[in-house]
Amino acid sequence: MKAIRGVLLTCDSAVKQILLTINEREGNSFIIEDLDDHHLVIKADEEYRVRKELEAELEKNTYSLEG
Amino acid sequence: MPGASRDGTIDGAEEDPPHTLLPFLQSQSQNTLTRLYQRPSACLSMFRLLPPLDRQLVMNLLWLESAVPAGTMGAWVTRQGRKLYDEALLNLSRLHILPNPSVKLSLNGMFKTSLRQAVTGGGNNGSFGTAALKDDKHPPVSIEVLDTYAVERWETILHYMVSSGTGQLPTKPSPGVLFLLQRSGLMSTVHGSALQITSAGFQFLLHSPHDQLWQLLLQYLHMAEEREMDLVEILSFLFMLSTMELGKEYSIESLSVTQKAMLEDLRDYGLIWQRRTQSRRFSPTRLATTLTSLLPPLPTATSSGAGSQDQGFIVLETNYRLYAYTDNPLQTAVLNLFVSLKYRFPNLVVGSITRESVRKALANGITADQIISYLSTHAHPQMRKNKPLIPVTVQDQVRLWELERNRLKSEEGYLYTAFASQADYEYVLNYAKQLNVVLWENPAKRCFFGNLEGHGNIRGFIERRTGGQA
Repeated sequence: MKAIRGVLLTCDSAVKQILLTINEREGNSFIIEDLDDHHLVIKADEEYRVRKELEAELEKNTYSLEG
Repeated sequence: MPGASRDGTIDGAEEDPPHTLLPFLQSQSQNTLTRLYQRPSACLSMFRLLPPLDRQLVMNLLWLESAVPAGTMGAWVTRQGRKLYDEALLNLSRLHILPNPSVKLSLNGMFKTSLRQAVTGGGNNGSFGTAALKDDKHPPVSIEVLDTYAVERWETILHYMVSSGTGQLPTKPSPGVLFLLQRSGLMSTVHGSALQITSAGFQFLLHSPHDQLWQLLLQYLHMAEEREMDLVEILSFLFMLSTMELGKEYSIESLSVTQKAMLEDLRDYGLIWQRRTQSRRFSPTRLATTLTSLLPPLPTATSSGAGSQDQGFIVLETNYRLYAYTDNPLQTAVLNLFVSLKYRFPNLVVGSITRESVRKALANGITADQIISYLSTHAHPQMRKNKPLIPVTVQDQVRLWELERNRLKSEEGYLYTAFASQADYEYVLNYAKQLNVVLWENPAKRCFFGNLEGHGNIRGFIERRTGGQA
């Protein structure tokens, strides 16, 4: 039995795929365990950075009238 | 919009939640409240703040000399009304207006005497303020001047809040006001820099003037104890002001020392007007005289350009375009919190609600519901013909933009995995479930995720178990 410290992320599957991609791009830098479609465990001290990365990624997919 | 008629629609919904002051009063000691009830003006104001059913009960009991057995009164209550009735009794007993409502109903003696006096007149304790003698040199100041003064004071405060952090330098309110804003958590300083508006402050800006005023006054009351001011004096002065007549002058002779000290603060908030700081007389403004009534606290029909606070001025179209018929810099600044403004004309501001502008607002701590409720309270009379009032597309989109910010939920804790056997896994999982710390589980993979606070217990549990086996 072992216990691993981390942060449980609950998200929709689209966001999860983006997170997986970012993780892969960075050479598995932050994901500890891929639990299921909606849950991931990541390293606790990476959370803030991951959120920033995700936001930047999501921002690429939005378009506004005033470009 | 001059000439538009004012019906009482604005504050129609205000009756539903209890007045913000009541919880504060309920938390006060019986002694404090009884002292407050010595003043007829305070009793009258309290009466006006109560919910309708409570008022009905007080009125029924007011002229009775002897107590009514609780059963007698209870027999009048229908089954559906029972809950409301019980709540009203509880509310009144917490305010010590109705002591021991479970046995017999009889108003607090002091409250009864004072309210009777307030209703019938008479007595000369000056609790409604002492009118100043006529002064031939200076006629009383006109209502217009008072209104302009009140609006100017009040908007200075709000404008200062809304433009902090934008680089503009609006007129600073007095140090007393700044201190109050800081203490109430509406503004704060970061590393000793200039005051910055907080997320509570942004939310504050979207409230109605009446709510804003009471929110600040409540804070003032909380601070009173630290400043060693007498709470009863302050409350009774506020209540006295709320029963005064707009446009009349009152003498400060009958005020206590504490109340005289308050004059300066209230002048800063725009509640009272004085010709000179050392003047022996003062006039309450509309902000003060409407404290306990449903009338709008700021003048509505306007000629001076300022004001028109409660008048709807916003037209919002389904294409997210927003037209605001206003020349008021404060209203423009408030809109600027969540609208991207495009053009400004002498009486009109045009902008649109965009993803960026809403996200900026959300980042400041404003919620989607607050934006929508601000838009609906200030909707232009023309808009009121629409049903629903705010275009559904815009409403939904603003809510979606809010949801978009929360796509990721995170919780720190421990992942428990690699259990030796299924029985082992279930045994530990059951224990964790009893502690109510399990956030996620998967029996097939034999692992589960528990939150941070449960970890100590679970570890101890496992250690005890393996220790026992060894």
